[in-house]
Amino acid sequence: MPNELSLVVRTADQTRRAELSVDSQSTGADIIQAAVDNWALPADTDYTLVNATTGRALTPGESLATAVRPGDVLEVQPVLVAG
Amino acid sequence: MDGDRYRRHELIDWFSQDRLRASSVAVVGAGAIGNEIVKNLALLGVGQVDIYDFDNVEVHNLTRSVFLREADIGTGKAAAVVRRASEVDASVRLRAIEGDFWNRLSLGRLSRYSCAIGAVDNFEARIRLNQMCLMAGVNLVNAAIDSRRAVIESFPFGDSWGGACYECHLPETAYARLAERYSCGGLRRRAQAARQVPTTAVTASVAGALAVSTALRFGETGDARQSARRVLTDTIAGTSTAVDLGRNAACAACENLAARPAIVRARNRWSVEPELAAAGAGAMHQVLRLSDALLTGYECANCGPLAQAAQYVNRRAADFDDSIATCPRCAAPAVRVEIRQRFELRDLVERFGDRPVPAKFAFADIGGRTICFDFEDED
Repeated sequence: MPNELSLVVRTADQTRRAELSVDSQSTGADIIQAAVDNWALPADTDYTLVNATTGRALTPGESLATAVRPGDVLEVQPVLVAG
Repeated sequence: MDGDRYRRHELIDWFSQDRLRASSVAVVGAGAIGNEIVKNLALLGVGQVDIYDFDNVEVHNLTRSVFLREADIGTGKAAAVVRRASEVDASVRLRAIEGDFWNRLSLGRLSRYSCAIGAVDNFEARIRLNQMCLMAGVNLVNAAIDSRRAVIESFPFGDSWGGACYECHLPETAYARLAERYSCGGLRRRAQAARQVPTTAVTASVAGALAVSTALRFGETGDARQSARRVLTDTIAGTSTAVDLGRNAACAACENLAARPAIVRARNRWSVEPELAAAGAGAMHQVLRLSDALLTGYECANCGPLAQAAQYVNRRAADFDDSIATCPRCAAPAVRVEIRQRFELRDLVERFGDRPVPAKFAFADIGGRTICFDFEDED
């Protein structure tokens, strides 16, 4: 399927990991929401998504089609704010 | 004595003690990470370190802050850190600047630092420091922690232009969380306690080490030149991920900055001779965006104009909370509060005349270039 993208999503501590196929028009925010829902990640934390394969962070509204290739590993990272 | 002190540093081929001695760093936040950053900068022999913090020492700070002691409880954090850090190396010039950095640090002063390191504890302060460094063209390190992770982000605004800023990668959920702190009228909500994030001395020391290491690399040229970058370290899993941060074309902070803004030091007074105003009538319609939102209208939907408006109008909206939206006459929550950040020049002239606008700076797009007018009354 040309619109499907197979990739790996993991948490930053690498204790959660999933192989999945997603619509290539999905955004980083969609992946983050799915990770928060499926892995019961703390809801009072904000998250950002990075492509660990390419070493590049996805901007919040960026679609996977422009930032991810099949097989890439995406990492859900917490946005830390305490000093 | 001084030569002996840094002898081991001089054995490092990429390390210049003279360059460090000539550098000056603004450390914003004297909490757990700030303490570690100052410790490292003092041990390294950085020439000048200014520490900005408005807060006082509390007992819970003592488990994470290397320079704070029980005797410091109730005193200013920045001053306490300077007192102890001075014992590390008396030749390092340390200065405590107490108060909110937004009020104490002008763009002009910021631009004289080699870099700024943000170790504050909330999104608003991080956004503001990012905005100031972006405007002033000063290299920025953003450092943050929780109980197991440390994150360091570098934004080399001074070394190169056109890269990402802190807000380029801030998710919508962070803005939504910020918005929860404000009423629909734009006033700060009362009794909005900040979320308490657990942190440890371990993550603070990792963040402090990585932040200073990152700051040391600013100013390098050629292939070694840094781009905007984030390193997230998990101190329990022992993992670390480093990624490049690209610019976000829809960024709230830098979207409209095609080039580095020109900083113009400006006198914060708004009186204009009538002849000059007439001659430059077109210029009087120039739109300026202020650094701070101002409260511009205050009227009760039930009672109409209120005498109390004089206490609030033309002051910074951030100085008030939503308690003022309750009418002092009819006691109903019916006061319409108008808050604005954009003004035509003529509007500012009419409102303020010989008085200063309660804002830090203003910017305007003139001739395709962003000009930042820095109000430097304090300097």
